[in-house]
Amino acid sequence: MNAVADDLLRLVWLIPVLPLLAVVVTAARVLLGRAQGDAAEGPTARLLSLAAFGSLALLLAIDALALQQGVPGHRILGVWFATDEWQASFSFLLDALSLPVATLAAAIGWLVVRFSANYLHREAGFHRFFMVLGFFLSGLQLVLLAGNGVLAFVGWEMCGVASFLLIGYAWQRPVAIGNALYAFAVNRTGDAGLLFALGLSAAWVGSFEWPALAAAELTLVEARVLLLGFVVAALVKSAQLPFTPWIARALEGPTPSSAIFYGALLVHAGVYLLLRIEPLLAQVPDLMLALVVAGAATAAYAWLCGLVQTDVKSALIFATVFQVGLMFVEIGLGWSTAATVHLVLHAAWRTWHFLLAPSWLAVTRERPAPPPAWLARSQTLYTAALQRFWLDRLAQVLFVQPTESFARDLRRFEEGFVDRALGEPGRGRAVQPERPLVCADGLPGTALAAVAGVLQRVENRLLLRGRGGAAERLLVRAGDWLQTLEGLLEQPRYLMMAVMATFVVIL
Amino acid sequence: MLKILVFLPVAGAALVALLPARGQRLWQAAMACAVGALGLALWLAAAFDPAGPAFQMVDSRAWNVRLGSSFALGVDGVSLAMVLLAALLSLVAVLVSRRMTDGARLYFVLVLLLESAMFGVFTARDWSLFYVFWEATLLPLFFLIDRLGGPDRQRAALNFFLYTLGGSVFMLVALLFLYDAAPGHSFAMADMAAGGRGLPRDMQLLIFAGLFIGFGVKMPVFPLHGWLPLAHVEAPSPVSILLSGVLLKMGAYGLIRAAETLPDAFVAAQDGLALLAFASLLYGGILAWRQQDLKAMVAYSSISHMGVVLLGIASLNPVGLTGAVLQMVAHGFGAGLLFLVVGLLYQRTHSRDLADYGALTGVAPRFAFFVAFGLLAASGLPGGAAFVAEVHALLGGYVRWGGWVVLLGVAMLVGAAWALRVVGRLCLPGPGRPLADMTKTESAAAGLLAACIVGLGVWPAPLIDLVAGSVGQVARLFGG
Repeated sequence: MNAVADDLLRLVWLIPVLPLLAVVVTAARVLLGRAQGDAAEGPTARLLSLAAFGSLALLLAIDALALQQGVPGHRILGVWFATDEWQASFSFLLDALSLPVATLAAAIGWLVVRFSANYLHREAGFHRFFMVLGFFLSGLQLVLLAGNGVLAFVGWEMCGVASFLLIGYAWQRPVAIGNALYAFAVNRTGDAGLLFALGLSAAWVGSFEWPALAAAELTLVEARVLLLGFVVAALVKSAQLPFTPWIARALEGPTPSSAIFYGALLVHAGVYLLLRIEPLLAQVPDLMLALVVAGAATAAYAWLCGLVQTDVKSALIFATVFQVGLMFVEIGLGWSTAATVHLVLHAAWRTWHFLLAPSWLAVTRERPAPPPAWLARSQTLYTAALQRFWLDRLAQVLFVQPTESFARDLRRFEEGFVDRALGEPGRGRAVQPERPLVCADGLPGTALAAVAGVLQRVENRLLLRGRGGAAERLLVRAGDWLQTLEGLLEQPRYLMMAVMATFVVIL
Repeated sequence: MLKILVFLPVAGAALVALLPARGQRLWQAAMACAVGALGLALWLAAAFDPAGPAFQMVDSRAWNVRLGSSFALGVDGVSLAMVLLAALLSLVAVLVSRRMTDGARLYFVLVLLLESAMFGVFTARDWSLFYVFWEATLLPLFFLIDRLGGPDRQRAALNFFLYTLGGSVFMLVALLFLYDAAPGHSFAMADMAAGGRGLPRDMQLLIFAGLFIGFGVKMPVFPLHGWLPLAHVEAPSPVSILLSGVLLKMGAYGLIRAAETLPDAFVAAQDGLALLAFASLLYGGILAWRQQDLKAMVAYSSISHMGVVLLGIASLNPVGLTGAVLQMVAHGFGAGLLFLVVGLLYQRTHSRDLADYGALTGVAPRFAFFVAFGLLAASGLPGGAAFVAEVHALLGGYVRWGGWVVLLGVAMLVGAAWALRVVGRLCLPGPGRPLADMTKTESAAAGLLAACIVGLGVWPAPLIDLVAGSVGQVARLFGG
């Protein structure tokens, strides 16, 4: 029994890899031109569906094992890369937190894949959608199951890239591209936070493994700085204040992707990350307080904004953010079990909501409820809610505009000075009129041209290669002298004198 | 065996000279001889045992007993590499001359004689024999340039002849000095090396100066390179291939042999040699950049590339010396390919000015490919033979001179600048002019060289193993 269990646990890596394999196969089919027409849609969808189901089945088997024999815990399968001080390994943490969440994610993923097969029928980017979806499922399972921060970071980035690609799914529309970029740029802030935290873990803890991090003995200041990175990453990914606006823009993608990303799974990744490092978090009360404040503020914000929304997806997303804000409050208060249960229930519930959203009107045939009377009466609050508290505008003024003007200045510096100094192709001037193809531009080019000119003069003048060089002229003159001498010697009197001189020398 | 190798081309030359046939028959006879010589060289390489004694297949008999000279032939790894190079490039030179009509007989006879003399230089184990073969290369070359060259050929031939003969005189005097100073009064290389090593340093330096002038003219080293641009530009293209591919290597080869003989002088002159190497590198590269004449560009770049060889030799450590030998071979292939392509272009358009050419892509795709390939390989792109050689020379030089080897990088950069200029003009889409593409024979010759370049660049181990023993022996004299 134990041997079978061991074999099963050794296969845990297959859970994230299976969807990835489906992606690779589909990509190969697309590249080879095999994925065209209606007939090609079936295999693509079935393949990913099968892969997602495979992950789910594996997880269920592990769950069963865990119920029987207790949770397997931390498993290291191999070393990825290492130095003397730390190592990044292929490790998985299978415990009471990761197994339920991962199982739920796999189940939702499988259902969404099945749903998408019909929903996206004959869409232009059918295969692209399934590839990105598979990529996302793989990344998400990595985040949930990884036993260390580095592997989780890989999954985290995969999710980020996949969400970028899905928001920009309809790339023909400029709005979609803009929103994809917006969401991705904001998410990079969180990635930076996570990377920052991982760097500090390597330096201060000497390990990326979650158990080692949870058990790390750090001073309060160190723990605070280290956790700050994780908290920022969590706030961004879960769209808490002040990073909330990106998630409303992220609804641009097809509905199944919105469901899986923002409704159900990805938005909870931040919560999950905090639950993962909860033991360390408990050591820093001020950060816990900050989480409560951020969560409560987000909940209030999302509640107010949600009341005035007129389309179903926006209303849903604010409801989602509201619930996630509550989870942050729970974590901040130290109720981690409650947060976990809340997460799982909310994810399941919200998936159903989102998948139902396209047919909402058909189901209810009602107009959306008007905002409550007290909100309609207070004009300031109503406007603020309608404008989503001007957060977009604020970010524009505080970050985007300064960055843009800075970039403009740099561009001007680049064009006016750097490009001129370095030289640009195609702008060079001919070094010599008779050699129009030998061009030089910029400081290095001009210097090279000057040196080349000097060397060419040296070459022409010094060396015996004609073109009126000095050496040739000297030789010609010497030749003239010798010829004159010879002419003189040929005359009998000088010949005689030479012979006499020779005799004199000899005698 | 070596005797057959050396005199096989002479027999071939006699055959070609006396054959009553014309045109294709002559070419076929010359080809047969060149292929035979290459086959023989390959057979020698197969029979050579890199782990065995330094010099193998030694064949020695007394020549002039009173003088102490002997007719001694033998090969080690370095000379075997050079023999292979010479055989291959001679074959290419004959191969591309298939269409030659005017003066074909004279040309084939002279090329075969030249091949024989080159084999002699690389296999001689006696300084007097070395000198005889060294001078023997001059005569065929002089007539090849003088009879078959471009418009300014007579001055180029005379210039070349006087320069190299001037260098040879210094070499001869130095050899006589060495003969006189060394005990034993023998011209055999081993004896003279044993004698030379025992000489005081100043004497060694004096002899070395004479030898260096002789070899430096041939290599060529700045400022002794005056003959090269004119001779390369005016020589018929197949002769340019041999001239830059093999003849320049004779200078470097002689220098390596001199290193065995006069170690103290080399140690004393090491920094000076490196200075000259860097000067050659930059001088050749910068002047190549300034040219618009295709052949002149390649000719000046040869000076630059031979600077790498000199740098490798001057480093006097095994890595650097290996780099020098590798670069000799790599430059033989690279410059050979470039001169081949440029020469064929000239044959068709009678212009060497880059401005007279349009884009070759579309019009003559094979030309475009080989021009781009040759230029990129010559600028040391990874995957080409030159890259492996330059990395070795760079490492060897770095051990000795540290950061100064950045000058080599600068020279490479300048070299890449002109190479890319030519590639941009000839090998990128643009307005073209009608031009006949390369024939099958010509493509085969160019393809052979290109295959050698890539082969050496991807898998240089056989050549490195071949020369490792000989290089190690030289380096051991300098504590390497």
